Amino acid sequence: MQTTENKGLVIFFYVCIAVFSVICLVPFVLAVSGSLSTESRIAAEGYSFWPRGFTFETYQFLFGSKAEQILRAYSMSLVVTVLGTLTAVLVTTAYAYVISVRNFRLKNFFAFFAYFTMLFSGGTLPWYLLSTKYYHLGDTLLGLFIPYVLSVFLMFLMANYFRSIPHEIVESAQIDGAGHLRIFFSIMIPLGRVGLVTISLFYALQFWNDFYLPLMLVNNQDLYTIQYLMYNMMANIQFLASGNAAQVGGAIIAPPLETAKMAMTCLTVLPIAILYPFLQGFFVKGIIVGSVKG
Amino acid sequence: MTQEATPGTMEPLIPGTRTVSARRFRKSLRKDSSLYLLALPGIIILILFAYLPMSGLILVFKNYNFNDGIFGSPWAGFANFEFFFSSMEDALRATRNTVMLNALYMLTGTFFSVAIAIILNELRSRWFIKVTQSVMFFPYFISWIIIGAILFSLLDYDKGILNQLLQSLGLSQMDWYSSPWLFVVILVLANIWKSAGYGAIIYYAVLQGVDTSYYEAARIDGASRWQIITKITVPMLIPSIILMTLLGIGGMLKGDLSMIMGVTFLNPLLLPTTDIIDVYVYRTAIRSGEFGFASAITLYQSVFGFILVLVANKLAGWYDKDSKLF
Repeated sequence: MQTTENKGLVIFFYVCIAVFSVICLVPFVLAVSGSLSTESRIAAEGYSFWPRGFTFETYQFLFGSKAEQILRAYSMSLVVTVLGTLTAVLVTTAYAYVISVRNFRLKNFFAFFAYFTMLFSGGTLPWYLLSTKYYHLGDTLLGLFIPYVLSVFLMFLMANYFRSIPHEIVESAQIDGAGHLRIFFSIMIPLGRVGLVTISLFYALQFWNDFYLPLMLVNNQDLYTIQYLMYNMMANIQFLASGNAAQVGGAIIAPPLETAKMAMTCLTVLPIAILYPFLQGFFVKGIIVGSVKG
Repeated sequence: MTQEATPGTMEPLIPGTRTVSARRFRKSLRKDSSLYLLALPGIIILILFAYLPMSGLILVFKNYNFNDGIFGSPWAGFANFEFFFSSMEDALRATRNTVMLNALYMLTGTFFSVAIAIILNELRSRWFIKVTQSVMFFPYFISWIIIGAILFSLLDYDKGILNQLLQSLGLSQMDWYSSPWLFVVILVLANIWKSAGYGAIIYYAVLQGVDTSYYEAARIDGASRWQIITKITVPMLIPSIILMTLLGIGGMLKGDLSMIMGVTFLNPLLLPTTDIIDVYVYRTAIRSGEFGFASAITLYQSVFGFILVLVANKLAGWYDKDSKLF
């Protein structure tokens, strides 16, 4: 009797997880389907899970008349992600190394100096005023990543990795006369590879998805990232509607607004979806290490 | 460089005398100069984007104008606070929304993450666990803007899937984007959708570390599956749940501006429930330029948030000394 009760429970568990997994994917199916539908049928019949009037017209429209703007935003996102991640990883690992050095007197002070910022912050407004008026980060490339290059959480995660590296290796290097810079660059960085990859991925994801910094600091359209372009598109349809009503043979062709939003959604998610299978394992490993001792 | 490893030189000198500590600091500067160099970029970033903004809180007592800047603007005394209390209603609404949404996210998010982790722990099929875990984790990688765009295709009045469904069931359409209270439910569901898979990984990792002999002993004693879950698995997770909750309490007054902007596009009809403190500061100060008022609410957010962190830390200390954050 007990086994049958258990069997039912187990099947119920499998169903629960399967259903939630499907729910996690369904919205993306909706986006892909929307992007491959025709504008007129979406307007008349609404969105559906299967493309209404299967067509690539929307993508042709985007790559035709909006190609320049989309490509610029795409490359801006790419530049921000690469530059931001490189800078962030360098700044973060260096700081993490310093607080992980065992016999450094001020390591606790530096650790607390970073930790305190997690507890107390000046809030959005002073941050915004300083960034725009004093650091002049408004409408600059730097403004799109510099404020985020030290995530205190990831810094502590990295320091934990460094602490897990056997101290004997460091000691023998010191006996051979290596200084901290040398130890950091030629021992800790290569040995902390796994941690390094993990925090790089977290940073890269953050920079790719960020739209807070462009929202706060950017007005210049040349500096729009793909996420911010997307936001503007959603917030005001004018982006697509303005100056786009192309005249073909006397008839005005309205731009595909609804399907274009979905196509942009797919384009923005695409890089993540392509890289996801390769990277997912690292994230999981990173979260586990970070949560076991964090 | 090497003799510093001998413990003798690390013994503290007699504290208190200024000359000694100054000399010690100079010596340390020379000896560990490369360490200071490595920490320098991080220190600069922390000062620029965390510590100096704290000093910017003096704005509360200033009559800010853009030309004179934070430090040059004339003093305003407590005028901003009067202003703050005069529009108390909006401030209270923003506070209520922030705390309410965060509390709901925390309760539902923790519940779903823990439930998923427990269920995964019960399943035996390796490939099923692997595949579903990957799928459930995926939404975590998607920005709120994209989620907002997709939500729109679900919720739009004419074209949204949900209203089509309602219609086909013979019900009347719902105007989701003008129902502030209904939208709270949508935000909570969106938050679960995005982050439950991520949260589950943390709890699942904790469960993987549980000694299997507990389970074996329970099975030999004839415990049913359900008993094993409630008597072993859940208690094993409680310390982590408490720690994660305490960590969350400190952030209770911090809102996710990106989420609200990405999902509601600052729709004025939804503001009664979605106007969180960060959105409020963004709307009043950064878009409309009413700096004085926004600075008062920023100070209030910082101080109140700090008190919450201290309280959470104290609670964590009572519960378990190791859970204490600092």
